[in-house]
Amino acid sequence: MPFDYLPVMAEVSAPKPPRTLVAPSNLGWSAIKKPVGASRVALLSSAALRLANQQPFTPREDLSYRLVPSDLDVGEIVIDHHSGIGRVPRQDPEIVFPRTALAELAKDGTIASVSPIHVSFMGGLRCHKEIETDLAPGIAKELQNAAVDLALLVPY
Amino acid sequence: MIENSGIPTLVIGTALDIMQKVRPPRAVFVDHPVGRTFGPPHDRQRNLTVLRKALAELPLFIGPGEIRDIGCQWQNDGSRAWEDELRAEMLRDR
Repeated sequence: MPFDYLPVMAEVSAPKPPRTLVAPSNLGWSAIKKPVGASRVALLSSAALRLANQQPFTPREDLSYRLVPSDLDVGEIVIDHHSGIGRVPRQDPEIVFPRTALAELAKDGTIASVSPIHVSFMGGLRCHKEIETDLAPGIAKELQNAAVDLALLVPY
Repeated sequence: MIENSGIPTLVIGTALDIMQKVRPPRAVFVDHPVGRTFGPPHDRQRNLTVLRKALAELPLFIGPGEIRDIGCQWQNDGSRAWEDELRAEMLRDR
């Protein structure tokens, strides 16, 4: 049986009411247009991660995002997300943001290429409307500009 | 929402109960603790294995809202001992 996260999250929230989970108002669906081996792939992370020299995320309701270069030599990755589970991924952000593994898959031809940028934002936001009207369209535009064919979202 | 811009997405997630509620367009379930989606720290082979399995699942999706189990367990013997540690870790956040 998979681990049930919702009851533990409710305990974490108490005495405040548990977080409300919201499905998107419009469940989008874009068909896969290219085989994986012909695709340019980007990572999306809700860990509020960034390069150490980029502006830090602010706690809680931060609707901004960071473009993280896929170049593995650009510097240290920092995780700003406030969640209590951060101790382990801070030891090695690749376990929530597998930039190195994705680069390996481009080398061996499993994917065509890695997007020049990956994108990170703050997970667990409560301003659902603004996610749909501001945050997601902004990220989509960045992915389009980078000619991304497939985005892999790793929730945090 | 990203999908509406014409870019397909694949969620690679560890929280099955949450994914079942929010119904991402396309998702794979990795039975690892949250925050360790691609394995323990510094295990590059495990990172690659999870990522490969997730990508291999892509052609099998038929329609929106599907969640596919890619058969990744945290411990090879199927032990769930990690759940108690994870619960304690999450509750430390209170």
